[in-house]
This record gives sequence, C-alpha cells and structure tokens, in this order.
Amino acid sequence: MDKKSFILKLQNDLELETEINETSILKDLDEWDSMTEMVLIGLVNEEFSVRLNHDDIEKISTVDSLIEIIGFDKFD
Amino acid sequence: MKVLLTGATSGIGFETLKQLVNNGCFVYAIGRDFSKIELFLKENRSSIETYEFDLAIVDNIENIFSKLDLDNGKLDAMIHCAGIEETTPLIQSTPEKLDHMFNINVFSGIELLRSFSKKKYCNDGASVVFLSSVMGILGQPGKIGYCASKAAVLGVVKSSALELARRKIRVNAVLPGIVNTPMTKLLFESINESQIDKIKEMHPLGFGEVEDVVPTILFLISDKARWITGQSFVIDGGYSVH
Ligand SMILES: NC(=O)c1ccc[n+]([C@@H]2O[C@H](COP(=O)([O-])OP(=O)(O)OC[C@H]3O[C@@H](n4cnc5c(N)ncnc54)[C@H](OP(=O)(O)O)[C@@H]3O)[C@@H](O)[C@H]2O)c1
Repeated sequence: MDKKSFILKLQNDLELETEINETSILKDLDEWDSMTEMVLIGLVNEEFSVRLNHDDIEKISTVDSLIEIIGFDKFD
Repeated sequence: MKVLLTGATSGIGFETLKQLVNNGCFVYAIGRDFSKIELFLKENRSSIETYEFDLAIVDNIENIFSKLDLDNGKLDAMIHCAGIEETTPLIQSTPEKLDHMFNINVFSGIELLRSFSKKKYCNDGASVVFLSSVMGILGQPGKIGYCASKAAVLGVVKSSALELARRKIRVNAVLPGIVNTPMTKLLFESINESQIDKIKEMHPLGFGEVEDVVPTILFLISDKARWITGQSFVIDGGYSVH
C-alpha cells in the first residue's frame, strides 16, 4: 500500500471528519479515544500483519510516526 | 476413562491434559502444534495419542473420529478447549472475520459433538465440557465476535443437553474470567499497564491460573456430576458479580 492510500484508509476507517496528512497529530483529533485506538490496531494488523503493542501506541504522534512504527519497508 | 481433548497444546487445555493423565485417563489429544508440549508427550507416551488437526476445517472433523483407535472401548468424555480470542471493533467485524471466529469457537464444537455423540464413538453416560467464557454472558467493547461466539456455545450446551439426555450423555459449559495463559498474554501485549490494572481490579480475587479452572472440568466429566447437565459454571474470581 502507498502512503496516500494508507492515509485515506485511516481517514475512512477511523471515520475522521477533518482531513489528515503526514503531519497531523493523531492523538489531537477530536475522534481519538480508546475505541479509535482499537480500530487502529485492527487496521494495522489487517493491512500490514503488524501487531501494535501498547508501547507502539504510546509512541505514536503524527501520521508519519505511525508509518515509521509500522515500518517504511511496508509501504510502496 | 477415555477422553477426547481439543486445545491440548496450550493454556487451559494443556493443564487439563496433565491432570487427566495424572488421574489415569487415556487422552486423544487434538492440536496443531504439539512441539510446544513435546517433553510432556515423551514422558507420557502410553497415555496419550495425538492428532494434529486444524479445527477451522470443520468439514473434515468427522475424519478424526474414524482414525481414533477405539478397540479397547469407546469414548467416555470430550473436552473442547480449543478456541481463539480477538479484539475486533464492530466496524472491522466483517462476515469473513466472524466466520473464522465462529468456525473455531462454535461450529467446530458442534461438529465434534455431532460425531462424538454417535453410538459407535461414545458410551451412554458420557460427558462433554465446552469452554465458553464469562464473555458469553457479559459484554466488552471490541469483543463482538468473541462474546457472540461464547454466548452461542451456551445455546449449544443447553439444547444438546436435552437432546442427548436420553442416552444419559451430559453436556456442560465452563465460563472462565481472565486466566493467565498464552491467549491472555497476547491480549495484554496490546494494552497498557493501567488498562491491565483496571481489568485486574474487576476480578476481586485477581486473575486466575489454569489450575483454578481445570478441577471444575474434571468434576464435570466425573461420575460425581452425573445429575448435572445443560449448565454453565462461572469461574472468574468474582468478575461477573459486579
Ligand atoms: N485464558 C482465558 O482467560 C480464557 C477466559 C475465558 C475463556 N477461555 C477459553 O478457554 C479456551 C482455552 O483458552 P486458553 O487461554 O487456554 O488459550 P490458548 O492458550 O491460546 O490455547 C488455545 C488452544 O486452542 C487451539 N487452537 C486454536 N485454534 C485452533 C485450530 N484452528 N485448530 C486446532 N486447535 C486450535 C490451540 O492449538 P495450537 O496451539 O496447537 O494451534 C491451543 O491448544 C478457549 O476456548 C478460550 O476462549 C479462556
């Protein structure tokens, strides 16, 4: 998956009302709560077979930081 | 006593296997990865026959029974410990995901029971124990598939208990709260310390160990439980009392 499609998928699956990009801080979003965290873990596991643990979740700030945690090699 | 046991390679199932063997039972053990309990199998070769099988292939389950060596007597009990747990929010609970969960947690159990209960495979008065979960009677965010599947098990237990009573075959369910096993280890890896503490607080007696659950399973397959059928036994350190 390329970065752009991933961001679009995030936008859709997390049902975000504001548009996001690489520099958006995920935890600052109005929609961010424990359920959003759960959906994100599911999405990343499904798309990249990467299981985010609680340390990973703590480390997430921007969309780019999430991509780094998932692994740059997983993106086209 | 001859017992068919699924999920024998890990957690509650492995502890059940150990205690059955210690009690002098012969166990037909089903699992996918027996390398995890290799040493125990080596030490108890005369009491265990292993069958490597993926229960997700529900259509092939009947074949397991045709392979069992029952020359010295038919089965007296079946314990279905195999199961999967997954955190999947509603938005990601697609039919495909639910199918997988139900295949292992529900449909494989029904198919095992359908074969087990045939006269050629089990004795009259045999006993069956299904592993449901306290999640079969309670709810939790992100657990739609798991809760639904474990609740379905309770329906299977009640209905089959009535259907099989004429041959005095008993069917019961055990509903554990959180027990330390590889399954819960995986669950805890995805949440933080404070979330774990919160869940722990909800268990007045703390988290359980496999040794806290298995005695009830053994009791249910014993003759001491001969007048108990169609019931659900909650073993959860007080979790569901809240
Ligand atoms: N631990 C808890 O807190 C808890 C609480 C309530 C209910 N339960 C229920 O108790 C049961 C046992 O849980 P556990 O904690 O002992 O789990 P576990 O340690 O993860 O063990 C699960 C077992 O199920 C087997 N299994 C899974 N998928 C299978 C498949 N497709 N085909 C064949 N075997 C399969 C595994 O076999 P392989 O490893 O060989 O693949 C393993 O032996 C489950 O039904 C679970 O839902 C557990």
